[in-house]
Parts: sequence; C-alpha cells; structure tokens
Amino acid sequence: MTTRRLPFLLNRSSSSFAGAAAGVIALALIGTACSPVEPAGSEGGGSNSQQAGGQDVFGDPADPAQVKPGGTLTVALSADPDKLDPTLSRSLYSRYVFHTMCEKLYDLGPDAKVVPQLATALPTISADGLSLTIPLKQGVRFADGGTLDSTAVKVSIERGLTLAGSGRKSELGPISAVETPDPNTVVIKLSKPFAPLTAALADRAGMVLSPAAVSRLGANFSTAPVCVGPFKFASRVAQNSIKVVKDPLYYDAAKVHLDAIEYRIITDSSIRSANLKSGDAQVADSLSTQDAPSLQQDGTMTVLQSQSLGYQGLTVNIANANGIGNPLKPLDTPIAKDPRIRQALALSVDREALVKSIFNGLNTVACSPVSPKSEFTSDAAQVCPPHDPAKAKQLLADAGASTPYKVTMITSNNPDSLRLAQALQAMVKEGGFDLVIKPVEYASLLDQQDRGDFELLQLGWSGRVDPDANIYNFVGTSGSQNVAGYSNPEVDELLTDARQSTDKADRVKLYGDVVAKLQQDLPLIYLYRQRNLTGVSKKVLGIQVYPDGVLRAAFAGFAK
Amino acid sequence: MRRYLLGRLWQSIVTLILATIVVFVGVRALPGDPALALAGEDRDPESLRAIREQYGLDDSLLVQFWQFVSHAARGDLGQSIRTGESVTTMIANALPVTIELSVLAILVASVLGVGAGVVAAVRRGRPAEWAANALALLGLSVPNFWLGLMAILYLSVALGLFPASGFVPFFTDPVGNLHHLILPALILGTGLAAVIMRQTRSSMLDALSADYIRTAEAKGLSPRAVIGRHALRNSLIVVVTIVGLQLGALISGAVVTERIFALPGFGKLTVDAVFQRDYPVIQAVVLVTAAAYILINLLVDLLYSVIDPRIRVRGDA
Repeated sequence: MTTRRLPFLLNRSSSSFAGAAAGVIALALIGTACSPVEPAGSEGGGSNSQQAGGQDVFGDPADPAQVKPGGTLTVALSADPDKLDPTLSRSLYSRYVFHTMCEKLYDLGPDAKVVPQLATALPTISADGLSLTIPLKQGVRFADGGTLDSTAVKVSIERGLTLAGSGRKSELGPISAVETPDPNTVVIKLSKPFAPLTAALADRAGMVLSPAAVSRLGANFSTAPVCVGPFKFASRVAQNSIKVVKDPLYYDAAKVHLDAIEYRIITDSSIRSANLKSGDAQVADSLSTQDAPSLQQDGTMTVLQSQSLGYQGLTVNIANANGIGNPLKPLDTPIAKDPRIRQALALSVDREALVKSIFNGLNTVACSPVSPKSEFTSDAAQVCPPHDPAKAKQLLADAGASTPYKVTMITSNNPDSLRLAQALQAMVKEGGFDLVIKPVEYASLLDQQDRGDFELLQLGWSGRVDPDANIYNFVGTSGSQNVAGYSNPEVDELLTDARQSTDKADRVKLYGDVVAKLQQDLPLIYLYRQRNLTGVSKKVLGIQVYPDGVLRAAFAGFAK
Repeated sequence: MRRYLLGRLWQSIVTLILATIVVFVGVRALPGDPALALAGEDRDPESLRAIREQYGLDDSLLVQFWQFVSHAARGDLGQSIRTGESVTTMIANALPVTIELSVLAILVASVLGVGAGVVAAVRRGRPAEWAANALALLGLSVPNFWLGLMAILYLSVALGLFPASGFVPFFTDPVGNLHHLILPALILGTGLAAVIMRQTRSSMLDALSADYIRTAEAKGLSPRAVIGRHALRNSLIVVVTIVGLQLGALISGAVVTERIFALPGFGKLTVDAVFQRDYPVIQAVVLVTAAAYILINLLVDLLYSVIDPRIRVRGDA
C-alpha cells in the first residue's frame, strides 16, 4: 500500500492534486460504517447465556450508602450524537447525553409509563381533549442560574413548533397556543385532540431550555446548551467525546454522586467491549451478539437488557415509485400489486427460528408495530400468523406468480444486517422465494428508501412510548415515513381515531384493529424486536436502561 | 528565480482550485443526501426542506460553490451540518492529534526499521536476517485494524499496560499524552517500519560492498565504526527520503488507527464526515489536505531548484 504512493509524491505540482484526491478516496474507503440509527442488530444482539432468555435487566438505582462521591464516569457510545439542541436533535444518542443535562416535563418509568419530572403531576386533560394543564415544580434553576417557570416552558415548546429544522414539530402535534396563567402552570391548547402529546413531552419535545441561552445563542444553542439537569455541558470534541460536569444548582444535587461524565464515541462494538474490559470505560452501549456472552460471564460486569419499543422488519414498496412526499404511484410488480404474495413472503419467514439462530433467543419475535411492553397492547395486537411455507407456496400459486419468485432486498451493509439477510434468504426459499440481497451503505440506503428505489427493504425503527409514533408515520397514507407508499382509508381512519381518543381502552382496541388490517395488506412485514444491551462495570452502581433505550447514568456513582 | 517562483505559485493556485472543484462536485455525486443522513429516523418532508434550506443544499451547485469558496477565502470553512460546530475549530482540534500520532509513528518505525535493517544486512544469510525479513513481511501484510485489536486485547485488556482509548492533550498532561499515544503509534508505525527495514537492508548491503567500506576496514577500523559511521550513515540518505515520502501514506493510515483507539484526529473526522455526508466538513478537510500537499510539493520543488540549477533554467525557458 505504501510503496504505490511513491511515484506521485516524487513528482511535482500535477501530482499534488492527485495525491490529495487519492487521499480522499483512500479515506472514504477505509473504516467501517457508522450507522446512527437502526440497521439490524445495531441496538443489541444475542447471547448464549440462559440469563439472556428475554428477561429485561434495567439495573437498580444507586444506594447512597454504597457509592462514594466524585469521579468521572466514562461511557463508550456507539455513535456520535448530533446537535446537542433538544429542538434540532434527531439521533437516539443525543438523548443519552440530554438525560444527564436536560430534564423534561415528564419522564418514563421502567414500566414504560409516563411519570412527572419537571412537572409535579400528569397533565389534566379537559373533557374535549383540547386543553392540557401542567403544574410545574418550584424552585428549579437552570445551569445558568435562571429560574424555571411557565414562560420558559412556553419558550421551549414554541421553539419546537417554529424553529427552522425543528425535529419536534410533528411530535408536538396540533398545538394552537401555550398559555401561562401563573409562573407554575402551563396550559397547552390544541386545535384537535392529540393523545400522543403527553408521551412526546417525556422526550425531547418536553425538555425545557434556558430562555436566556436560547435568546443569546439562537439556532446555535447546541454549541453551549443550557437546561435543567444533574449535569451541565462542559465540552465537546467533534466525532470523539462529550463531557458534562455536575451542576451545583440542580434542585436535587444531593442525589448526584459523580463529578463528571465523559461520553467517548467508539463505533466498533468489539473495541467498545475491550474498553469496558480494560477499565478505560465503565459503561458501553449497544453490545454485539459476539461480545455480550463473554461480558455476562465476566464476574466484574453486568449486562443491562431492555426490549426495544421499536421493531425490525421488511418494507415492501407498494406505491412509492415517485419518492416520498410525492403523489403515490403503484409499482408494476406482482409483490406490490398482490397482497397474497406479501402474505406468502411473511408466511415463509420462521421468526422463532430467526430469533433463535441469529440472535440466540435474545431478541423477541414481532408481528406488529405494537410492543408487548406498551400499555396499549392487546391480544389482537400481538397475533402472529405461524410459519407455513406450504401455505406460502399455495398463495403464490393462487396469485399466479411463477416460482421461485425473485425479489430484491436492499439492506444496510453492516455485518449484523447481512447475517439477518442471509438467514432470510435461506428461509424464504422454502416458501418459493428467491431473495436477492443488495447491501447498501447506510446513508445511501436512506436515500434509496425515500426515493422509492427499492422492491424490498430491511430496516427498523427504534420505537417510541406511544404506539402512534410507531405506526402512523409508517403506514398512514400521509405518514412522513410511509416509504411503502401504503394507502388504506380504513387504516387511516382507525389511526386518526386512536390519535384523537382520550380513552385508553378505546385506543387499545383501535390499535388491535389496525394490526389486523396491516397483517392482511402487509406493507411492512414485522420480524423481531431488539433488546438494548448495555455493559456496565460492577465498579459503578446506579446505571439504568429503560424500554425507551435511553441510557440513564445521571445518578450513578462509583462503588465504595 | 522570481519568475520561476511566480510560475510555481500560479501552478499551485490552479491545482488548488481544480482540487476544490473536483471535491465539491465529487462529494455531491456520492449517493445519499446530507439532509436525510442528518434527519435519520425523525425525518419528515418539512424538516428535510428546512434542513436543506438552512444549509443551502437546495441552492444551485454554482451558488453553493460560490458560497463555499467565498467563505473559505475568508478563512470561514462553515459549520458542520451534523453538530453545528465550526469546521475550522474542528480541524484545528483534530490536526495536531494526527500530526503528533504520525511523528511518533515515524519515530517508532525508524528505530525498529533501521535496527532490524542493519541486523538483516550485517547478519546476511543467518537466522537473524530471516527473522527480520519475516517480521517485515508480517508488518507489511497484517492489517492495522487487526493488529490494533490484538494490541488492545493483549496489552490493554489482559496486561493493562496502555489505555485502550482516549486522548489527553500534550500540554495538559505530557506523560498521559504519551501513554495514550504510544500504542496507536506502534500500530501505525509497523507498516512503515517494514518498509524502512527493507530499504535499510538493501542500502546497507550496497554500502557494505562498496570500495570505501573496504578501505575503512583496511584502515583497521572496528566493525562497529565501519557499520555505524560509514555504511549506515550513507544508507540512511535513501531511508530518510523514503520516510519523508511515506508521511502522506502514514496520515491516511492514521484513519484506521484513530478509529480503533478513539483518537480525535483528522482521519477519523474525515471518515465520519463521509459516512454522515457532512458536506462542509468533507470539503474543508479535503481542501486543507490538498493545500498541505500542494505546499509540501511547492517547497520540495523550490528546494530542488536551489539544489539543481537545471530545473530553474528549464522553468525559466
């Protein structure tokens, strides 16, 4: 490799450009893919350990008697968070950092239920569902010394609704006004009922930003973010590390044991594990199937596990020939036109075997977008048609498709996704399909997906607390990520009703009905749910991971 | 001389402009959309539109190019699409890390390579030469990423001798800085050590059969003096040239090493920017790299012309 560079380096100016260009090409070719979200296996993996058999291990809060004050915790993160601005941020990993420095109106409990954080109680919702009243904690101060009040909440929510490039706008829904009757009460007015709002306020949309910092930094808030939190932002080295330090102004500072937390970006999972073992990091997220078993057997480590609220699946391009955001145009392929072929493909997949063989039984089978951990689940939402290759062949014959039916699938080019694709390829053969795998680099995969340049696509979704956020955008006709180009007015109506209903039982039933429809039409063939695996050194107590996948390190401490 | 100098400067500027254009167009020819890469999961048409508008991605290529060039000319390389940070700051932070890593790697490679090369030449046809040759072959064949992983597993995890990741700036903690960099430098230096070893060996063999060595031996100098003061010194001229030429390759090799050891260097910055389609960062790092190459070549050319007047004369003609 090295000697080949000699000739152009020996030459003069013409070669300097060649050198620069060759350097760039070499740089572009070297290295491994960095996937910010959700290719298969990116959030966890399997294990040979019996302990791993599908049990959530969230971790326990630190017992103050057992931890010593001080110290810097090093967390090995699998991807670089994007902008540290709750309004603009879009990556899951920024939520890890926000957890320590930007508290929200609401948080999530280990049971995936919403609990108050900066609010003192769950919102009081008016009978017509058009008004939410949120009482705020008193005596809470931002890291810059400012006081948290209803005006600050109003500024943050309105910023989410109006700032150019806001990632929160669709999460906040049809908010018409934010009122501040007194400093400790916020009233959110809606133009139509929007049930998922409370859950959205338990995520980035509910983070309260310092109004002083917002007015000083504007759209550059991410360069020096200021919120309410156990820690405050200290520094960031691009693509490498983020450091937060203890905030003495935090309202519950006595519960904070660590002096600082450093998030170190290490994209390769084996190297993350090695850092954990060597003690250079005390926490590592997204462990791989290969590394988790050895860490579980290591007496000095704990592996936290939480089942994702999202899913991994196969999207069939039905009518996304024009690209997303454009009018739907059906594809002229049998699999796009005939649901029986999609049903045959779904029946050809042995999900149980897939989960066992590829993920060693650690991940769980998924046949619908509603997580069994969700409070909106039901038997109807968890119905799973059994693996039946004979029926699949019959359906193909009924549809008049010639076998083997050839279908091309694009997938992310990381090892876990490829392993999954190969297993699927072998599996669906029995059902009469010839699956052609086309691995694509992640950024290109997203591009092809949105342009509608695919027949079948393997990608997942990390999941949100409210089922609406896991369904509507993906299978609703006007869904922002309806990359299948699916359109079923009945499904749209059911989803809209579920969105606007304030009655839980009603919503549970509606989501069950949606699942039944989706299993007939199959724009998306759900395969499995991942388990978030986080390695933690036993030298550290109090690290927790909940079903939202967010690593909770703020109240951890080093063991005495 | 002045005319030659002006001519070379002009050539350099043209090369830099051409490099800028090719990179600008090349980055945009890559499949993948920065707005999509940034939006990730949370994308909807409105946000994508806003991102494109904010970063001027929906402007015509000419407008985008003019924006880039006019800002770059004022020293403003823009903001990272992904993190919103100033690209100039990102580069200013990353460059010293890679330079320090490369210098250390050259030091490591020179010590190992020259030592092994001398042994191989002096002990020609004996086990020591075979061992040195075998090591050189290994150094050339074993990929850095594998070697890096093994080093972390055995030297960091098992023995705890070196940190497996992280970086401390030299001026904050010089000892900590070296402690963090020694393992990456060793890994990065192995390939170069092999090249140096082979070069030293062949130059030494040439030198050892030269007449002046026979004369030195005939004068009664000790073997150590003959090898060290005469043969090695003459052989090193070629070796030093090779080391200089390998610097570029070394910086490219630093990409892998930086990723393995989570070092906040230039290579890691570039690769991550490519994967995230962070256009301003990719453009800026390439521009800086191209400018560095052009500057080095310009200096080398000027040195040549000082050393060899024929080049200057030809340039004047």
